[in-house]
Amino acid sequence: MTTSNPTLAIPGQLLGSTSKYQPGPGTHIHNHNVHASLMGTVHIAQPAKAPGPVKRLTKITPAPAPAVLPTISVTVPTRSAGSDHAGQKKREVLPEVGNVVLCRVIRITPRQAVVAILVCGDTVLEAEWQGLIRVQDVRATEKDRVKIYESFRPGDIVRAEVISLGDQANYYLSTARNELGVILATSEAGNAMHPVSWKEYRDPETGLSELRKVARPY
Amino acid sequence: MADRRRINGPPGSTMPPVFEDDAGQPEIKNGKGRDRAPNVIRKMFLKTGVTPSASGSAYLEFAGSSNSGVSGLKLSCTVHGPRSLPRSSPFSPHIVLSAHVKYAPFATKQRRGYLRDPSERDLGTHLETALRGAIIADRWPKSGVDIIISIIEGDQDRETSKSQGDETWDMMNALSGCITVASAALADAGIDCVDTVAGGVAALVEDAGEGSTPRIVVDPIPSDHEKVLGACCIAYLPTRDEVTNLWFKGDLPASDAGLYTQLVENGIQASRNANRVLVECLGEATS
Repeated sequence: MTTSNPTLAIPGQLLGSTSKYQPGPGTHIHNHNVHASLMGTVHIAQPAKAPGPVKRLTKITPAPAPAVLPTISVTVPTRSAGSDHAGQKKREVLPEVGNVVLCRVIRITPRQAVVAILVCGDTVLEAEWQGLIRVQDVRATEKDRVKIYESFRPGDIVRAEVISLGDQANYYLSTARNELGVILATSEAGNAMHPVSWKEYRDPETGLSELRKVARPY
Repeated sequence: MADRRRINGPPGSTMPPVFEDDAGQPEIKNGKGRDRAPNVIRKMFLKTGVTPSASGSAYLEFAGSSNSGVSGLKLSCTVHGPRSLPRSSPFSPHIVLSAHVKYAPFATKQRRGYLRDPSERDLGTHLETALRGAIIADRWPKSGVDIIISIIEGDQDRETSKSQGDETWDMMNALSGCITVASAALADAGIDCVDTVAGGVAALVEDAGEGSTPRIVVDPIPSDHEKVLGACCIAYLPTRDEVTNLWFKGDLPASDAGLYTQLVENGIQASRNANRVLVECLGEATS
């Protein structure tokens, strides 16, 4: 970090010219200059290392600059120093298209599974957002043979990818990848099960197996 | 608004008795005046992060006037969200802003009801307009944010009679405070803004005494002056040099168009001053 740059920023503060920096999360462009749009600390990421999950930029971004420009971003510090809400006071994030989220299945119908999105990327969401896994988004192959009740059950924890902001109430999610699907499931007897194949979970106590769209373990 | 389930306060004004002083100040009302230069706003205190349960919050207090019974404005603002919209609302590609301003029942001489009255709704609309120009709404699709301001104490003079004070001028001062405090709370909540918006009021006043000409002052206290001819409240973005909200009211001589420009310029000056406090407060909060 150069010394000429302020380490703290408040909304509207000038951070530098667009010829020097690429705008990262927490910044916006006005008159060819990068300004802060959040209150927090300024970080400058050199392009050599991947600068984390980049938040969606403003609509009017210049053509992707040659990757020599460092990305400047503003992050909100977590509240500390005498606050007992230290961990809790985090900035809210929104699920975005392409993010991998963790969610819990709320209810299933023959056409879709309704889920509550709990974790987006690495951050636990404070508000609960509703998502929808439609039957055609459950897996990539043999889509017409998918049955929702053979893929998810209420209470399962599912790893899924956001494919659309969806309608007014739901994000549309997809599990059509090997590493996406159910990661935690309980049997009808109420025991935690372990995966045995790409479409099967088994209860270790009763020995019965149940069908799921299983996520490949990392 | 007769609410039978609550123990209501007296419906009329609650004025403590003011006893005549032994020293015998003959005319209290005309004896006082503005104790600041025309281009100086009142001192204010601003602090963010006062409400732990909210996503963002701020508290603003204006100093009272030293030579009148005005006790100063006290505002508390909480920002809740961004959170998911209710199921009934239509899809929105950007953040849905809703601003509520409510006077506490005890904030003014005339007791307020528990429900919002038209003037409070008016303040909310003005505040919403002022903030909409400052936030980057498309960073938060499909979400809503609620900005709730309670006016804990309105600045009203205890000694002036009810008939003399015009509520509109108080509303203007309240609005400028609301804008400043909401801006601080939004920054505290981490909602993307293009700038820190601050409010300022300028007014054309006529002072007591014979032969005094109308003059322009910033951040007026109505009871300091004989008469307020016109006023304007401005929400201003200093780094962008943009005005997001402008509220003009009063009777100005139509012949003098320059007066309007002067009032706006003074309003901008007032909001620049308020913004300086805001910037300092946010700087302290981040460090």
